[in-house]
Amino acid sequence: MLLTCGASWTAAEVDANSEQRLLEWQTKQAASVLSTAVMLIEQPLGTALSVQQAAPARGSEAFTQFMSAYVGPESTFVSASLWRRQGEAVAPLVETGGRPLLEPSSPAAQTYVAEAFGHQTATAHRIDSGAEARIVWVRADPAADLAIYAERRIPADRRAAVDSDSAYANLTYAIYLGPEVTAEALTTTDADPSDLPLRGVTSQETVPFGHTVLTLVAAPRGHLGSDLSRWLPLGLLLGGVLLTVAAARTGHRLARGRWDAEQDASTITALYEQVEILYGEQRVLFERLQRALLPHAHPVMSDLEIASRYVAGSRGIDIGGDWYSVVALDDHRFAFVVGDVSGRGVDAVAVMAQARFTIRAYLLDGQRPGAVLQKCSHQFDIEADGHLITVLVGIGDTRTGEVTVANAGHPAPVLVGGVARPVEVSPGRPLGTGPSWYEETTIRMPPGSTLFCFTDGLVERRDEDIDAGLRRLGTTLDRAASDPLDHLVSHAVDTLRNDDAPDDVAVLAFRWTATP
Amino acid sequence: MAEFVTNRRPDAAILVVAGDLDIASEVELVVRGREFLASSDVGVVELDLGGVTFIDSSGLGALVRLHKLAQSAGRRMVLANVPPRVARVLSLTGLSDLFAELPER
Repeated sequence: MLLTCGASWTAAEVDANSEQRLLEWQTKQAASVLSTAVMLIEQPLGTALSVQQAAPARGSEAFTQFMSAYVGPESTFVSASLWRRQGEAVAPLVETGGRPLLEPSSPAAQTYVAEAFGHQTATAHRIDSGAEARIVWVRADPAADLAIYAERRIPADRRAAVDSDSAYANLTYAIYLGPEVTAEALTTTDADPSDLPLRGVTSQETVPFGHTVLTLVAAPRGHLGSDLSRWLPLGLLLGGVLLTVAAARTGHRLARGRWDAEQDASTITALYEQVEILYGEQRVLFERLQRALLPHAHPVMSDLEIASRYVAGSRGIDIGGDWYSVVALDDHRFAFVVGDVSGRGVDAVAVMAQARFTIRAYLLDGQRPGAVLQKCSHQFDIEADGHLITVLVGIGDTRTGEVTVANAGHPAPVLVGGVARPVEVSPGRPLGTGPSWYEETTIRMPPGSTLFCFTDGLVERRDEDIDAGLRRLGTTLDRAASDPLDHLVSHAVDTLRNDDAPDDVAVLAFRWTATP
Repeated sequence: MAEFVTNRRPDAAILVVAGDLDIASEVELVVRGREFLASSDVGVVELDLGGVTFIDSSGLGALVRLHKLAQSAGRRMVLANVPPRVARVLSLTGLSDLFAELPER
């Protein structure tokens, strides 16, 4: 009796402990994603400083030019300025972007810039003016007497999409500027502010933020470790770690590059090349992050072959939000999705992850393609997250070869077998445009035929009509119609994709191999 | 690159857009459009796309955002002089019926 009591007490204790451990583990992941985001914010400031110093002859032009990619109403910073220190006084040399919340002549701005010369890292402060709240970043180089001042917006209600990475999917979280968990320090949360501070089982992590820290407090939302999110945080964690390493290496090499540049002005070109190379490396890591979000294997089903391919675009360091996925619904039925989030970068990938898992959840819940899209149309809003999502959702049956699809503004799939032809699927509106409804179309695949789904990067060219691209796709698929499926997919992608095409391409194709 | 020119008629404020509407011009289109909406109080805002040479999903996103901005400001955004190439993309992406379109002049 005593033993049983003891054993069950131990079991309960173990269970509670494992819940706490799981929470701590997930909080660590969320913190890792957060610190990556912070690093991505800080990094341009340091690079801008290096670039400015490497090319002093160009005046403040180098600064303005470099920062233009990071400053704007929808960018990393709303405004930025380059400052010079003379003796004890600091004064702005040039400003770019919108109006700063702190006037450069204000004591606060002067203090923040002057203070930054005493820190090795960037400094970060929160400023408030009426309803508007911002974070002021200052990065200074005492040796060069230069500093960069930049303001970043905090969403007005503090309940932000900026941290809606899926690493947070199972957590209710609150992020505070500094080590103290107080209402004044709150910067972002997805909880109702009146429920704060978070109570019950919570976990806390701090991540470096300029000269101070961000404190992340998280509590579980429902049960942790659901199947849906099991591997996604892992992917983000992996990506986060890789990006962190990359950012650190970039900073280190830029510092070395700057020193070289000071030795010899002719190495400036080399420095710029170096920056290009580093951006290239960073891009590779971004791609790995995105690949971690794509399925590693497709379900194995009788009478069905599945092949897919993903090719990253060639321009810029940012990755796109294309994706595909196939899930088995039972022994005979499968669901598939091909989608494309407009825009690029980590934000687009975050929206992609959200769309992907929302759609998958509805499909596993037994919803039909039209209903899945209709429900999703209520959940995505371009005004809130800045992205349009085109997506094709279908459910197929390997016994009959029938496939039912619904389409939110996505290119129609092509049926290959006999003559390749686009399937007439009347497109509904892309997700993000607002609540909408979606027609369903049923395709009867002949035995041996292939349904080829793709994203627009495969057919879109700047110098021609979209129809010309679609025709070229049809011809290419016709020629390889009887090839093994893997080969058909590779052949289409290799033939149609421009080497300097900026856009990503995702292709998902399946062949119904039943004998008549 | 995209270029922007503003025009006025008594019944409508017109923003003439030319060039490529893509990821590079998306933000500028939204910002210009927003400024443009704020700068006039005419009920109908006309977006003249006659000079648009290319549009991708980012460009479409910008058009949708302007449409929503106009709507929430109690205004109506209409597209004018939509080139066939752009019209085709709007129709393939299910967006044709979202925007009111003026017949070609």
